[in-house]
Amino acid sequence: MSIRDEVLSEIDGETIVFCQSCGICTGGCPSARFSKYNPRRIIHKTNLNMDPGDDIWLCATCYTCQERCPRGIKITDFMNLLRRIYIKEKGMPDFIDTLIENLKNAGYTTQLGEIENKRRERMNLPKINTADYIKRILELTEG
Amino acid sequence: MKYALYLGCTIPLRVPNYELATRRVMDKLGIELVDIEDAGCCGIYHEQINELTHLAMAGSIIAKAEDIGLDIMVMCNGCNESLIKANKRLKEDADLRRKVNEILSKIDLEFKGNINIKHYIRVLYEDYGVDKIRKKVVNSLDNLKIAAHYGCHIFKPTDIIQFEDFEDPESLDVLIEATGAKSIDYLDKKLCCGGYVLGYKKEVAYEISGYKLQNIKDAGADLIVTICPFCNIMYEANQRAIESQLNKQFKIPVLHYPQLLGIAMGFSYKDMAMELNRVRIDPKLFE
Repeated sequence: MSIRDEVLSEIDGETIVFCQSCGICTGGCPSARFSKYNPRRIIHKTNLNMDPGDDIWLCATCYTCQERCPRGIKITDFMNLLRRIYIKEKGMPDFIDTLIENLKNAGYTTQLGEIENKRRERMNLPKINTADYIKRILELTEG
Repeated sequence: MKYALYLGCTIPLRVPNYELATRRVMDKLGIELVDIEDAGCCGIYHEQINELTHLAMAGSIIAKAEDIGLDIMVMCNGCNESLIKANKRLKEDADLRRKVNEILSKIDLEFKGNINIKHYIRVLYEDYGVDKIRKKVVNSLDNLKIAAHYGCHIFKPTDIIQFEDFEDPESLDVLIEATGAKSIDYLDKKLCCGGYVLGYKKEVAYEISGYKLQNIKDAGADLIVTICPFCNIMYEANQRAIESQLNKQFKIPVLHYPQLLGIAMGFSYKDMAMELNRVRIDPKLFE
């Protein structure tokens, strides 16, 4: 399926055809202010069935564009959809690997080691146990 | 008032000072917290990786709280968005619920859909009440000028979270002013901290946070108050790295809201584990 068709078949992507090119999304975007990230261009590229590229990873998922879009486009949800499509087609980007590794090891995004629990003990905070069921969820859902 | 406390990942493992301060303050306010045992990640990152994984991870936390029989209190904006979104989708979509419950049944859990999720800011602002908080203040912080940072997922996406107007929020400002301090205005107050971009392009995330730190400094704030562990890490733990990237000096202390409230309620600097805050805080600020 082409990228355009794939996006338009999903609830998170079907609204992009309403884009009127006003650029409110890009004007209020924290990432766009400090990088070449341009959500309006990414919407355009997808509507024209072009590869949106790697810039989709620059979205901070702050939802400001989605809240302000005068055409009701679910822009942040669409960026997350593009990321899921990217992973399906090109595999997991390197910078997410550590996160998945940590989740598989202990069930948390950050490392759970002896240091963390020793510090908690000193502070009289309850011990954090590994949440092994997270690994099982990842296996069952192919996450 | 009684809630099931969900800590998530970042709070217990990277900012336990936030956790300690929150537990002590809630206890003194008379808000009872029951820990959700062995609760792993809320699944927020999987919204961009695999939706079913996100819903199963978030659903598992909700199911654990349902077994306790209490609404969930969260302390992280990310957990707030992830759990509220999953809760809404699973309550409204029977097919999706069946699919997720098939997975959860293999780890002896079931999502039933009979509880809600609240950030503690919302609990304090909507349920506990600001007047009642004011009455608990014994050390009014009259001379402090504070820059509130709300973050994003405390109210966005608004159709899912249904809290307050993200363009003109007031909850945190009002809660800060309940301590006697002044919550000041600054340029681009509502802008995101950039934390979510940290993994992909650290430099961009630092530019965003650095821009906000500069605006906060220019407005003459004594300190920043955050309500999310990730925003806190961006301004606090990463402040030095941001300073070195931008070749600037900020040296602005960053407090978790419960630390501020705790000091106003008579807790000591040490009670609020402020020695673990990385940007030095002068205790004289609170005298």
